[in-house]
Amino acid sequence: MKRLFLALALGTGLLTSLGVRAEETEADRAARWHDLQRAIFGDKQMLDGQGVVQLEAPVRALDAALVPITITLTGDKPIKGVYLVIDDNPSPLAAHVTFGPAADPHLLKLRVRVNQYTQMHAVAEGADGQLYEVMKFVKAAGGCSAPAGSDDAVALKDIGRMKLRLLSDFTAGKPVQAQLMIRHPNFNGMQMDQVTRQYTPAHFIQSAEVSYNGQLVFHLDSDISLSTDPVIGFDFVPQDKGVMKVDLRDSENMKFDHSFEIPEHAS
Amino acid sequence: MRAERALRRLGLLLVLLLATAADPVVPEPAGFWTGPMHGAVPATITGGTVVHTTELEALLRHSDAVLIDVTPAPRKPAGLAPNAVWMPAQHRNIASSVWLSDLGAGVLGAGEDAWFRARLKELSRGKRDTPLVLYCHPQCWASWNAAKRTIGYGYRKVYWYPDGIEGWEKAGLPTASAVAILPPS
Repeated sequence: MKRLFLALALGTGLLTSLGVRAEETEADRAARWHDLQRAIFGDKQMLDGQGVVQLEAPVRALDAALVPITITLTGDKPIKGVYLVIDDNPSPLAAHVTFGPAADPHLLKLRVRVNQYTQMHAVAEGADGQLYEVMKFVKAAGGCSAPAGSDDAVALKDIGRMKLRLLSDFTAGKPVQAQLMIRHPNFNGMQMDQVTRQYTPAHFIQSAEVSYNGQLVFHLDSDISLSTDPVIGFDFVPQDKGVMKVDLRDSENMKFDHSFEIPEHAS
Repeated sequence: MRAERALRRLGLLLVLLLATAADPVVPEPAGFWTGPMHGAVPATITGGTVVHTTELEALLRHSDAVLIDVTPAPRKPAGLAPNAVWMPAQHRNIASSVWLSDLGAGVLGAGEDAWFRARLKELSRGKRDTPLVLYCHPQCWASWNAAKRTIGYGYRKVYWYPDGIEGWEKAGLPTASAVAILPPS
């Protein structure tokens, strides 16, 4: 009886799917992006982002838990912020960045987790609210990439520690490239502690705010798609020598802040 | 003469080296694999049978084998912002499978072992010689672990399908959208 059922199931399956999907089709991906657009941006109109925003990601990622992303804002239009959407991640909106007056809103670098072969979208938002989208397809290493178990005590030891590097020399009034490195496990709730045999509760950075001499550089909202020990690259425009302040808040409502004296030279 | 022999030996060595480089042999770990779930997997499973696509298709035609997809399903994390978008992508697997998430975990949570034993007893209708096919994706340790675990539970006809969902799809065989069954947490 079971055999008959299986044969039938296979038979009907073959019949109904003459155009059998070899894998996720173009149509599936377009439908997914359409659904995500509605969920994240509502009914707002989306324009082609060619010439406004550029998204760089490796075609084939070496480590699905640490995929480097570069978003470049290439146009002359004033930009309010940028969204990074990883379509097939369960929590697809990986990051939303709003730029402040101390930013040079042309660059954003992040490291993210990618669940499976997926489309990725960068959406720039103009000062007038207009949205511009670009897409990249990323082949990350496999759909069963639930991270390996971890030793929670070690991962939490240095939580909230930060470092700031300047990647170009300080020149007042000119864009300076900076890199912020944060120690945080960014647990996504899908890791198993090897010792306690319990799922490590999700514990991840929800927001990061960076300001320079009291002026906002950027505000970042994120969740479980950011990698362990996040690294954020950005440009800012200092008018004078001064202090960069970073404020973090995570899903356990832990708050971390740090102030950095800005050095003269790249480090 | 001697030179020729030496050259031949060198050639053999080179062939061996190339073969190892192209196809690294991954030994079966003694216990369950607890490292990253994605990566090179062994070619064998002690106590079970490795099947590839044509063999699996034949097996399904000629037996009442139970297909078990062990792809780890995403778990909604606590602490997600209230307005955060939680939208796991649709999962497709081999048609008429059961999606039993986490059966291939390196370490099972408290109480999960008993829970999985009970699910497998139902799926096999209490018969230890019901053929069980464990799979997820290519290069996915979860399916290897799941096969090993099932063998350890005393099932006598355990099949491991390392080609996974993508291997099945590549052959143009039917898939269906699936809903995960998760152990209570």
